[in-house]
Amino acid sequence: MTYGLAMGRKFPKITIDLEKCTVPFLCKRCLQACPMGVFHVTRVMSKEERLKEMDPRVDGNYVLYATRRDKCTGCNICIDVCPVDAIKIEMPKQERAKPKVEGEHWG
Amino acid sequence: MCWMCDEFGDPEHGNGLWYLNPTNYARNMYKLRAPGEGFKGAEAGLETGARSGPSQADLLNAIENNDRVEYDRLTAIMTARGQGSQIVPLEDADKVLELCSPIGLIACICRKGIRAIDERNEHEYTCMGMGVGMLKWERWPERYKGGVAFVNIDEAKEWNHEMDRRGFVHILMLFGAPFIGGFCQCDYPDCGAIRNAVDFGLGSLKGHYVAMVDYDKCNGCGICAQRCQWGALKFEVTTGKANVDIFKCYGCGLCESGCPRKAIKLEPRVNVPAVAEVWT
Repeated sequence: MTYGLAMGRKFPKITIDLEKCTVPFLCKRCLQACPMGVFHVTRVMSKEERLKEMDPRVDGNYVLYATRRDKCTGCNICIDVCPVDAIKIEMPKQERAKPKVEGEHWG
Repeated sequence: MCWMCDEFGDPEHGNGLWYLNPTNYARNMYKLRAPGEGFKGAEAGLETGARSGPSQADLLNAIENNDRVEYDRLTAIMTARGQGSQIVPLEDADKVLELCSPIGLIACICRKGIRAIDERNEHEYTCMGMGVGMLKWERWPERYKGGVAFVNIDEAKEWNHEMDRRGFVHILMLFGAPFIGGFCQCDYPDCGAIRNAVDFGLGSLKGHYVAMVDYDKCNGCGICAQRCQWGALKFEVTTGKANVDIFKCYGCGLCESGCPRKAIKLEPRVNVPAVAEVWT
């Protein structure tokens, strides 16, 4: 494991405005810029259309997700490269580590 | 030996490694569907099974909610549903290519999803589908966007060696074990199988080998450390040599094939007591 998957750990919340982000498979800026590969683009699958090939140029055929948000570091590179300002990142509050032995004080 | 080898290997008559022993699994690849039975294996299309179960998003939610019971339930499903994979070194991969046909070069679904890379021709394809499922590829035009290039065994091996030179890990994909449906070329973090294995300890069976460094031959050039996708191999500054953390090593053999001085060899996992039965 590359990092601690402690139970109860809070991950960043990444919201993508799908009204602004309409052709992610064509644009692909955030997908290729993210150092941790947080984003994932996939087509919208209704049952009738499962056996069709999708055209990436049509609005809404592909949808952007932040599937690996546990890997997000909050570096905001994706926000910088997004041409339509569709991405928002809310980092979780972190608590400062406390000394393990209570009652002992330094200094 | 892993549980797959216990079930499908045949050390007395053929090979103890299950994937080199097709007599015990090839029937599954060619089995006809009984009337009224649902789609299975290759018939359902690659990755269909992977979509139907719990996802990484469900796992993350369980972790955030501090729900240990739910987390254990999800990981049990994800481990049991037969959507696993096994890491194989270059030589074993070549042997598997001789056993499977037809072989088609295709676009990688993980790179398409994570980096929006649209592989369009045989010079760009970085994934391989094998078995009779490939004959029906036209049914799933979105999965096989960019088409399929069918190749013979020699071309497939040549492609495999080129992928190894570029530094991809070779992973056999088991779409409903022990059915071998695909042969992935993976790296971290783009690849779903490595991401599941490294970050969650799910999905992939480790290879049947671990890498060992011969300190007399190693001159510390560091090429192997660049090629390791698992974070298992690093350059140890104190000794000036490569250092493998065998507990993290998945036995993919990239360090071995990249070493210019042949200083790394693959030791069968069974010979190393600490990791002999460690498969995830």
